[in-house]
Amino acid sequence: MSDTTHKSRTIKVDCLARVEGEGALFVKLKGDKVTEVKLKIFEPPRLFEAFLRGRHFSEAPDITARICGICPIAYQMSAVHAIERALGVVIDPAVRLLRRLFYCAEWIESHALHVFLLHAPDFLGYPDAIQMARDHRELVETGLRLKKIGNRVVSLMGGREIHPVSACVGGFYKVPAEPELRELTEDLKWALDASLKTARVVAGFDFPDFEQDYEFVSLCPTDEYPLNEGRLVSNNGLDIDVAEYEDHFIEQHMKHSNALHSMLRGRGSYLVGPLARYNLNFARFPEVAQQISRDCGLTVPCRNPFKSIVVRSVEMVFACAEAMRIIEAYARPESPRVPVAVHAGVGSAATEAPRGTLYHRYSIDDRGLIRFAKIVPPTSQNQKRIEEDLWHFVSQVASRPTDEVTWKCEQAVRNYDPCISCATHFLRLQIERE
Amino acid sequence: MLILGCGNPDRADDAAGLLVAARLRELGIDAHARSGDMLALIDEWNSEQAVILVDAVVSGSARGAITTWDARRGALPADCFSCSTHALGVAEAVELARALGRLPRKLIVYGIEATNFEPGGSLSPEVATAVERLAQDLAATARLLNSA
Repeated sequence: MSDTTHKSRTIKVDCLARVEGEGALFVKLKGDKVTEVKLKIFEPPRLFEAFLRGRHFSEAPDITARICGICPIAYQMSAVHAIERALGVVIDPAVRLLRRLFYCAEWIESHALHVFLLHAPDFLGYPDAIQMARDHRELVETGLRLKKIGNRVVSLMGGREIHPVSACVGGFYKVPAEPELRELTEDLKWALDASLKTARVVAGFDFPDFEQDYEFVSLCPTDEYPLNEGRLVSNNGLDIDVAEYEDHFIEQHMKHSNALHSMLRGRGSYLVGPLARYNLNFARFPEVAQQISRDCGLTVPCRNPFKSIVVRSVEMVFACAEAMRIIEAYARPESPRVPVAVHAGVGSAATEAPRGTLYHRYSIDDRGLIRFAKIVPPTSQNQKRIEEDLWHFVSQVASRPTDEVTWKCEQAVRNYDPCISCATHFLRLQIERE
Repeated sequence: MLILGCGNPDRADDAAGLLVAARLRELGIDAHARSGDMLALIDEWNSEQAVILVDAVVSGSARGAITTWDARRGALPADCFSCSTHALGVAEAVELARALGRLPRKLIVYGIEATNFEPGGSLSPEVATAVERLAQDLAATARLLNSA
């Protein structure tokens, strides 16, 4: 906006669309200079950590699954792994693979929802997926079918699509028979092919010329793309066991948000999610995902957050290929779960939710009751980074008309696929409100 | 005729559509409950079917009021159905189906006015009355169609 060089402008998005949960955006400009940015999360606090206190550890996977309707498996997986570490439980290798399959299904459905229905409209110039569907029917139909296939795998593994009920400490309550899993293969073959095509399509979108010097943080397992385990690593030298998480990461309450801001101690913001996983684990992708990344022109590192839509599509390729690999090799374990001996203990774990690293820590007493629970979801970890992106990005586009700047800001927030409902589950009771 | 009751069983009045479906089954009428991601509704029907959807709505009417929309005639008011922050709702699913040319031959949507969405909360008495009334009306209609 050329006539605003000396005027103050405020860009407000009172209710962010196409994100999970309720949040708002506030950007203040003096002329074309950004003076204030706030990602306001006003979704009410949900207090899940307090709900967990006094409950038996076996309830944690099902209680924490309720934090999110899009990524319940992430919550279940972080919970079971943390409690298994507290109790010294070693799971069956076949169960370990089934948990990876379970997680792949969540990635497929969550990434499909975001890529096709939430983020693609930004790049194609539509206010929402419904408007986009009129002109891009095939694209939307592909997204719906991919999501349905992810849902189908979740249903089979978890008993139902939303808030599945099969995961438990020590394994699963029930595991599928080989033929049940094999029936998914044809759908997954289609999904792999569709994901490859999708990656090529979204790689052709126009991306703003915007890169930041991020500190990427992700799990990094020894020899596979991260889902359920691995050391926590960054591109700036962090390399820790997840048990050391709270020595390195701190949370801060900001007046304008009901979700805590996470920071690396002494370093500030960092980024979790597809871009971080991709940059830190490219070599751990199967060849099909590496090749499509190259075909799409993705580099390592990729520092343009708008290209997260391409990375998500590549991760869908990975998730489909990994799911097929696991199903092909699957042999039903003799028992769906190992016995769990109850004793007092403390355990923490992190897994890779579709939106990024999800950390849980539990303290359990000798009766198996949870005395303390801490949960740090990916959106709260990215919150500070989102605001910093906006500071820099708005500066680049500030001279454009306000409507366009507003649109671009929303798009920049959606780069992170934020799940605001997840991020507000854990606020302490001392709430400070504006 | 396909009857689908939508909602969340754990959020008080939001269960209204599910309870209508359950009551219809008690009355001997085939009806299905659908929770969670309403996008899946698009795959529930085909273009030849007549479909009835029942869901809780917030339109500003009196609690328990029943509003009817003929979705073939016009767009559903998205604001009335936006009860979920985590997934697309009934209105978005219907409008997406319309944009994709995948609406059923006939689609009637019944909204039961709800006010209490408290997790674990109880059904409001007015909503319970509306559930029974709508279930009886739909059962009568279904019987009439079945005997025709």
